[in-house]
Amino acid sequence: MFRKIKRHLRLGKQQINIDTIYTGIDEPLPKNIEKVKKRLDEIFSGCDDFIQRQMVCGEDECIRILVSYIDGLVDKNILNRDIIRPVIDYLSSKQAHDEPKLVYQRIKECVVSSSDFEEIQSMQQAVYKIVSGDAVLFVDGVKDALAVNVKTMQGRQIDEPDTEISIRGPREGFVENLATNMMLIRKRIKSPNLKFEIIQLGVQTKTDVCICYIKGIANEEIVKEVRKRLKKIKTDAILDTGYIEQYITDNRLTLFPIVGNTEKCDKLVAKLLEGRVAILCDGTPYIITVPYIFIESIQTSDDYYDHAFFASFMRLLRSFALIISNLLPAMYVALVSFHHTVIPIKLMITLAASRQGIPFSPFVEAVLMITAFELLREAGVRMPRTIGQALSIVGAIVLGEASVAAGIASNLMVIVVAITAICSFVVPPLIRATMLLRFAFLVAANFLGFLGISFVAVAVFIHLCRLRSFGIPYMAPFSPLTASDIKDSLGVVPIWAMLTRPKILFPENTKDTVGIKRQEVDEISED
Amino acid sequence: MKIKIIILLILPALLTGCWDNVDLIDINLVTALGIDKSEDGKIIVTVQVIEPAALQSTSSSQGKVGMAQTKPVFVESYKGETISDALISMKAMVDKRLFLSTVQVIILGEKLCREGVNEALDFLHRDYQVEYLADVLVARGCSPKDILKIQPEMDVIPAMYIKGTIENTELRAKVKRTMLVELFKDIENKCRQITIGQITKENEKTVNTEGTAVFKDGKLVGWLNQYETRGFLFVTDRVKNTIITIPMANGKMSIRVLNSRGKMDVKFKNGRPYRLSIYVDLEGNIAEYTGKKVLDAPTDMHTLQMTLSEEVKKEIAMALRKAQKEYSSDIFGFGKIVHKYHPQYWKQTMDQWNDIFSSLPTEIVIKSRIRRSGLIKSPMTKDE
Repeated sequence: MFRKIKRHLRLGKQQINIDTIYTGIDEPLPKNIEKVKKRLDEIFSGCDDFIQRQMVCGEDECIRILVSYIDGLVDKNILNRDIIRPVIDYLSSKQAHDEPKLVYQRIKECVVSSSDFEEIQSMQQAVYKIVSGDAVLFVDGVKDALAVNVKTMQGRQIDEPDTEISIRGPREGFVENLATNMMLIRKRIKSPNLKFEIIQLGVQTKTDVCICYIKGIANEEIVKEVRKRLKKIKTDAILDTGYIEQYITDNRLTLFPIVGNTEKCDKLVAKLLEGRVAILCDGTPYIITVPYIFIESIQTSDDYYDHAFFASFMRLLRSFALIISNLLPAMYVALVSFHHTVIPIKLMITLAASRQGIPFSPFVEAVLMITAFELLREAGVRMPRTIGQALSIVGAIVLGEASVAAGIASNLMVIVVAITAICSFVVPPLIRATMLLRFAFLVAANFLGFLGISFVAVAVFIHLCRLRSFGIPYMAPFSPLTASDIKDSLGVVPIWAMLTRPKILFPENTKDTVGIKRQEVDEISED
Repeated sequence: MKIKIIILLILPALLTGCWDNVDLIDINLVTALGIDKSEDGKIIVTVQVIEPAALQSTSSSQGKVGMAQTKPVFVESYKGETISDALISMKAMVDKRLFLSTVQVIILGEKLCREGVNEALDFLHRDYQVEYLADVLVARGCSPKDILKIQPEMDVIPAMYIKGTIENTELRAKVKRTMLVELFKDIENKCRQITIGQITKENEKTVNTEGTAVFKDGKLVGWLNQYETRGFLFVTDRVKNTIITIPMANGKMSIRVLNSRGKMDVKFKNGRPYRLSIYVDLEGNIAEYTGKKVLDAPTDMHTLQMTLSEEVKKEIAMALRKAQKEYSSDIFGFGKIVHKYHPQYWKQTMDQWNDIFSSLPTEIVIKSRIRRSGLIKSPMTKDE
C-alpha cells in the first residue's frame, strides 16, 4: 500500500520542472547597464519591493552605477553608509577615473567599506544574491558585478526556549536566523575543528541548510551519510527542520523519534561534543541531531549539571513515568476485566464501588476519557492564549467532576487518566509515540488482559530493537549491550567519571577513532 | 499478500470474543463461605456477599444520588449434593457471578467436621479462584449460617470483623489460626493431626474466636478451651504475645509474655520411643500487679519465675492430657520428629502413631525469665 503511494508521489514529483525559476535567466551579465536594469525589471516584474538606484557622475555622465536590492531585506543604514555614500563621495572626488574598468576596480578595492562582498558574473547569481538580501552593484561597461552583504539582522531576540525548560544551566535558545545560530554554537566551541557546511535546499525557497559537526570527534561515516541524504532531498521548500527530518530518517513509518531535535544551545553543543552531527536550517530555531537513540529521550541537560545521585533518580523516575504513561490505562482495564483474582479485597471493594452504575465497559470508559484528555491537550496547544483559562476550567469541571457525578466515568478512571497524563508529559520527545501506543495497549488489554499487553509489549520491543538511526542501533546501549555506555543511560555517573564519549556512535574500528576519549584519566587523578 | 496474511492472523485473536472479560459490576464479591452438612447428608453452602456501592455509601455517608439504599451485605445459603453443585444452583437466587477470590473466612459446620473435613477441602483445593490465605474456622454450637448472619457494629462486613477478631485472638495466643493453605498441607500429613480455630456466636452482634477444634484423621473429635489452646501454642512455638495471670500471696499478677520458644523432642531407647519432651523458653515483663508486696529482692523474681513456669506447665499439661488421653490425636506433631530422626521406626508404626503417642509419658521443661517490672517497681499501695 505504502509502496503504491510512494510510486504515485514519485510520478508527481517528476512533473514539477525543477529549477524553473532559474533556468530562464541562465545568461552572463550584459555590459550595458540599461540592459541590466531592463532585464532585472523584467525578472522582478510585479515585485514592488525590488528597488534599483542609479547613480550618474563624471564628465558627460559617462560613469553610471546601478545598485539593486530588495527593500526590507537590506539594512538601509548600512547600505547608505557602506555603499551609496562612499560611492558618491568617490565619484564626486577628484580621484575618480573615467575608465569604467578602473572605476569598478577602485570601488571594489577601496570604496565599498563592507567586509563581506563577492564578485558575480552571471544574471542567475545576481538574482540569487538579490533575493537573499545582498545589494548588487553594477558599473556600466563592466561585465562583473559586486554583491555586497548588507543584510538586515532583524529577527527574534535570543530567548529562553519554551519547549525545553531547565532549572539550571544556560538559558539561551536558538532563533530563526541561521547566522545567529551558528554564532551561538561557535561561541561555545572555540575550535577550528567545528565545521559548518552550508548547502541550499528547496527549489523555491533555496533555504540554507547547514551540517555542523566537530571534526575528529564526529564519526566521518555518519557525516558522509548525512551529506548524502541531504543532497538526495528534492523538494519545493524547506520551512523547518521537520521537513528534513522526514526525508532523512532511516525508517519513515516508525512512531518513535529517530532524529532528535533541540532548541537549547547547551544541549546541542553537548551532543556535538558526544560525536553527533547537527543539521541547522535557516528560518527555524529547531536544530536536529543525528544519530538519535532511544535513551536520549529521557536525558535532559539538567542531568549533567546536577549531582549524579539526583540525576540518576530523576532518570529512573522518567523511565518509570514512560512505562506508566504507556501501560496504566491498559493495566487498569486488564485488572478490572480479567484478573480480579490478583486484586486485594479492600482495593476490590473500592474498585467495584466506583464501577457501580457506570453504563460503559472499562475499555469504552478508558477510551472516552483518554480521548477527552487528548482533545483538551490539543485544544490547549492550538487555541489563542487568552482563552486558555476558560478551557482549563471547562476541562477540569467536565472531565474531573461532572463525568463522575453524571455516572459516565468512575472516579478511579479519572485518576488513572490523570496519572497517565502527568506521566506522559515527563518525557516530551515520546509524547506522540505513547499517545498512540496507549491505545494499542488498551485494545490488547481488552481482548486478552495482561497476556495481550505482553504481546503488544513484545512487538514494540522487537520493533525498537530493529530500529536504526543512521546505522546506529536505536536501543543502544542495551541492545546491543555496550558496557561503557551504560554510564549514561538509566542512571548517570558524575561528569568526572564520564571518561569516554558514547562508543556506540563509532561502530567500526573504535580504537582508531580519535574522538572516543573525553578526558585523560591522569588529569583527573591529579585533582 | 503479506498484509493479508497479517490481517488473517490478527482476526482470529479479535474474533474469539472475550469470554474471560467480566466487568467488576457483573460479579458478586463473596467475603465469607460457610460449609455444613444437613441432616439428610447434603451439603449446605452459605455465602456472604457484599454490595460495594452500598458499602461505600454507608462508610462515606454520601451515597450516589438516585440510588436506593441497599444493605451492604447479604447472606444466602443453598443445599446441594456437593459444594460446587450448591454454588452453581445458588444462581437461582443470586443475580451475578459468584466470585470466590475475595473470601476472607471459611466457616465449617460441626456436623461436616465430625463426618470428615476432606470432603469440603477437595473443592476448595481444586477451584482456582479460592483464596489460599483465607482463614478457616469451625463453628461450635451453631451453624455457619448463624455466624455469617451476625450484624457487627464494629465493621460493616461481618467477614472482615471475624478476620479481625481472629488476628487479635491469635496475637493473644488463644486460638490456633489456620489458613486454608495450611490445611491443604496437613490434611494428608500423618505426622501431625490438623487443628482448626473455633468460633462461637456470642449474640447477634458479636462472635468469639477462642479455642481450637481437634481433628483426628480428618474428623472432628473434640475441642481445646482457650487455656489448653495456649498450652498447645506454647509447645508448637506459635505464641507471639500473651498475658498470663498468676496468683500471688495477696492479689494477682499478670505477666506479658513477649518472647517464647517452644521445642519438642521424642526420646528413644533401644529403638523405641519412651518419652515425649517439651522445652519452652519464655520471656516476659510484669504487666500488672494487684498485690502489696514490694518486689525488689532477686529472690522475689526467682520465685515469680518459678510460679510463671508452673502456670505455663499446667496449661501445657492440660492440652497434652486432652490430646493424649481424651482424643488420642497427635496435634503437636511429635510424629514429625520421629519421621525425621527415626525414619525406619516411623515406617513401621506410621499407622499406629496416635496410639503410641497417647501411651508415652511426658516431660515438660519450662524456663521463664522476667525481664522488667514496667515503669514502676513497687506496687501502688504498699504494706502498712
